[in-house]
Amino acid sequence: MGSSSCNLFSEPAIIEQVITEFFTKSVHIILETRSPYVSSRNYSGEQFISSPSPSSSSSSSSVRPRDKWFNLALGDCPAALENFDLWRQSNLEPVVIDVILTRRPSHHHDVLHSPNSARDQFSNWTSGQDEFVQDSKSEKIVERWIIQYENRNSGNATKESCSGAKKGSSANCQSSEMSAMYKKTYKKSIIMLRSLYTMVRLLPSYKVFRDLNSSGQIHPLSLSHRISSFAVPFTREEDAEMNQFGFTPVDTPGGRLSLSVSYLMKLDDVSSETSTPLSTQFIPDYVGSPTIDPLKRFHSLPSSLPAYASFSRRHSWSTDHGTTPSVSQSPSPTYSNACVFRANPNSRIPSRNRLCDNSPSACSVPNNASMVHRKDTSFDEYWPSGPSPPFSPSTSPCPPTHVSSDHPQNALFRTESAPVNIPLPRIGKNSLLNQGLPPSPSKVKGLKQGSAPRADVKTHISTSSTSHMSSPESKLQARKELTKIGDFHTGMTLQKALSFGKDETGNLPGLKLSSCTSPRIPFSRSSSRLSFLDEFDDSDFACPFAVDVEDIGDSCNRIEPLDKQGQTSENLESTGLLTVRKSQDAAVSALVRMLKNAPPLHQEICEPLSSQVIRDETGNSSIEQNSCDTEVVAANPSSAASVAGMTTSGFIRSRTAADAFEELRGFKAMREQLVRQASPQIPDSTGGGS
Amino acid sequence: MNCEVCQLKELVVEPFEIREVLRCILHTIVFHRALGLVRPKDVDSELFEITYVQCGDVELEKKIEEKIDQFAGWVDKHPNRKSQVCLSFYEVKSKQPTWFSNKTERLHWEQWYVNLHVINPKAHGKFRHTKAAVDHGENSLEERSSRRAVLEASLREVLFQIIKFVNEKKDHIPQVSNSEVISFPYEITIPSSSDSSFGWHTDVFKRMLQTGHPTMLS
Repeated sequence: MGSSSCNLFSEPAIIEQVITEFFTKSVHIILETRSPYVSSRNYSGEQFISSPSPSSSSSSSSVRPRDKWFNLALGDCPAALENFDLWRQSNLEPVVIDVILTRRPSHHHDVLHSPNSARDQFSNWTSGQDEFVQDSKSEKIVERWIIQYENRNSGNATKESCSGAKKGSSANCQSSEMSAMYKKTYKKSIIMLRSLYTMVRLLPSYKVFRDLNSSGQIHPLSLSHRISSFAVPFTREEDAEMNQFGFTPVDTPGGRLSLSVSYLMKLDDVSSETSTPLSTQFIPDYVGSPTIDPLKRFHSLPSSLPAYASFSRRHSWSTDHGTTPSVSQSPSPTYSNACVFRANPNSRIPSRNRLCDNSPSACSVPNNASMVHRKDTSFDEYWPSGPSPPFSPSTSPCPPTHVSSDHPQNALFRTESAPVNIPLPRIGKNSLLNQGLPPSPSKVKGLKQGSAPRADVKTHISTSSTSHMSSPESKLQARKELTKIGDFHTGMTLQKALSFGKDETGNLPGLKLSSCTSPRIPFSRSSSRLSFLDEFDDSDFACPFAVDVEDIGDSCNRIEPLDKQGQTSENLESTGLLTVRKSQDAAVSALVRMLKNAPPLHQEICEPLSSQVIRDETGNSSIEQNSCDTEVVAANPSSAASVAGMTTSGFIRSRTAADAFEELRGFKAMREQLVRQASPQIPDSTGGGS
Repeated sequence: MNCEVCQLKELVVEPFEIREVLRCILHTIVFHRALGLVRPKDVDSELFEITYVQCGDVELEKKIEEKIDQFAGWVDKHPNRKSQVCLSFYEVKSKQPTWFSNKTERLHWEQWYVNLHVINPKAHGKFRHTKAAVDHGENSLEERSSRRAVLEASLREVLFQIIKFVNEKKDHIPQVSNSEVISFPYEITIPSSSDSSFGWHTDVFKRMLQTGHPTMLS
């Protein structure tokens, strides 16, 4: 490749760009119809959750700049393609896309793997090797696309590069000629891409792709692809089977663009198999699905846990996400995040994950997650010092308890699986129904049970997304440290927490109520939340959302005076909660550590604070609070196991320091006010609204 | 100007298949000549396991449907016949100012001939079998499905043929002078009712157009 850089000069910059875009577009066209779940076919207008990159995921519906290239507007960028630009080093490297048809004996394999395809591909790009290692399985390359730019005159390269270097003098006389050349090249490449677009739909693999995408069933087959910069030669056998089609190369001023495909004409033997009904692998989806009865979801929980670990459901969920008719849905990832945040007080961790998956800024997953955690934790500490009493009061604990016993799992599922804004109305009904129910012991039990799995999940997630903190001791320690730190850094963390909440809410001021998907939300909305809103509106109390449920619960339960915060946290440690929280704590601490180094993720979202924002936040807090109360009721009397899942870690994300600071100031003022108010009488979260 | 002509492989179709076949082919061709900003629309054929691409241009769609209707009408009157549908692209050049006003001229630079052999399945069956009609009815289902498969394969072939042609012949395409989705003016011509054979030529139609032939809709 020594000469390659030199050769590149032989094409004028504009042609270079055409070539680069040609590669991208071709890959896009091909993957769009070969990479399940990312095609325009079932593309729903939402970002691709799976995408680790923040770049293009949010701008789905409008005409993007790249649509204009070759006058061919495609669906959203396949996740795999987002890394493509980074991966490509030079236009002189060919791009080889192998489309692989896999028949797996177990569906499990499929489910776990397809969602990660983007990453797989990425790694393949870099390695590009070991392609056939797995051939012994039921994998078969059914198509090989080769996109290539050949430089015609490598001998002239030096000369032309020189002329390119002294553009100033020679460029002028050539410019008209050049532009004519450019137009011609461009027009021809447009046509070539049109025919490629048609072609990919005519080849047999397309049918498989369609079947895979359209059916709600698990297919025994799956399509995957590898992108590399060289082609591992086919065996003679394979070669004999393959049909060839070469698109007529497009001449460029300095070379030519060629595109060819080798394809298997007959996939019949593989593709004709009947698809099997849903396996347990997919149950998580349904478990998490908002349309399913909560209890049912709960039952199927255990089986679904493994799937979470692999984030296998992201894709499917993302699709659902997009198609969900809910009014509250917004294409903005932030929005959905916020939603999660509010909606699933119980499922912080999952929500964290969601954040990572969803948000455009989530490219650095670990950072994100850690940030969330950290804030959370610190806020825990902070919280007690704040207006905790308002939350603690009686607040009709019954309904929440019930809800929580049923729903923690749901929330988990949802978060883990789906960055989805779960359709609220239904859930709302559920929770409302639940509201009147007394906190029966059995429910409390359920809560406990529910919490255990949750804790597991949480740990798992945190492990996967960030660092390892699995030993209970270490976790515990970390927690304690955090507690201390929390005291010291209250201001700072508070800022972060505040800013986070602000941004989240700021983006979707009005939407919040409707958007909240968690069963809990509607509940809180109807009962305590509104009142809380009112109450806090008066005081302008802004940032309860960051409060850790445990802490709140604790404080609430004991109806601790406002200023006892330090004690509260310590109390927490000393109570049974401690043991339960270990795993979470560990995760939290790990995240916190990472958070310390993490830059703010959501800068683009930072928007000026509005009163509405504050309102929303308050609403948030009430929700959280609600859940806290509930949990407290359930957890404190019994073992603290129920609390395990409750740590509010997931929601908070960082904003700019300025935002946070501003809010902090407001918060302080509010707090003082609250303290004053609180002393005579402990506000009730449900009935206390003024 | 040279006019590239593509004779597409003849397809043997039953009358009810004509529409889908023509849709597939015509839309595919136009998609390759619509050089404006296109947001392609994938369409799954109702009859065949084929997905073809439309440009998403309403007017084009309308025009194609209209022409297909006309053609189907013509086939009704002229059953069991080979026929052609021609899609041609042209440039509009203003003629040298002559005494008969400033007319414009259509310079065709590309013509696609869709060759269809429309058969009546019953007649076709009789042709091959001298059996009674009852027997024929039993066989026809099987025969039909196999014939359908053949047609689908052939249609796919024709689409490939279009892709190949489009790839090989690019130099004759005139410059794009507008930013519309459908970059070039085009016309779809079908055999007219006065044509007794399929040996007509588009020039005839052109002339007929200009002279306002009653059966020609522009």
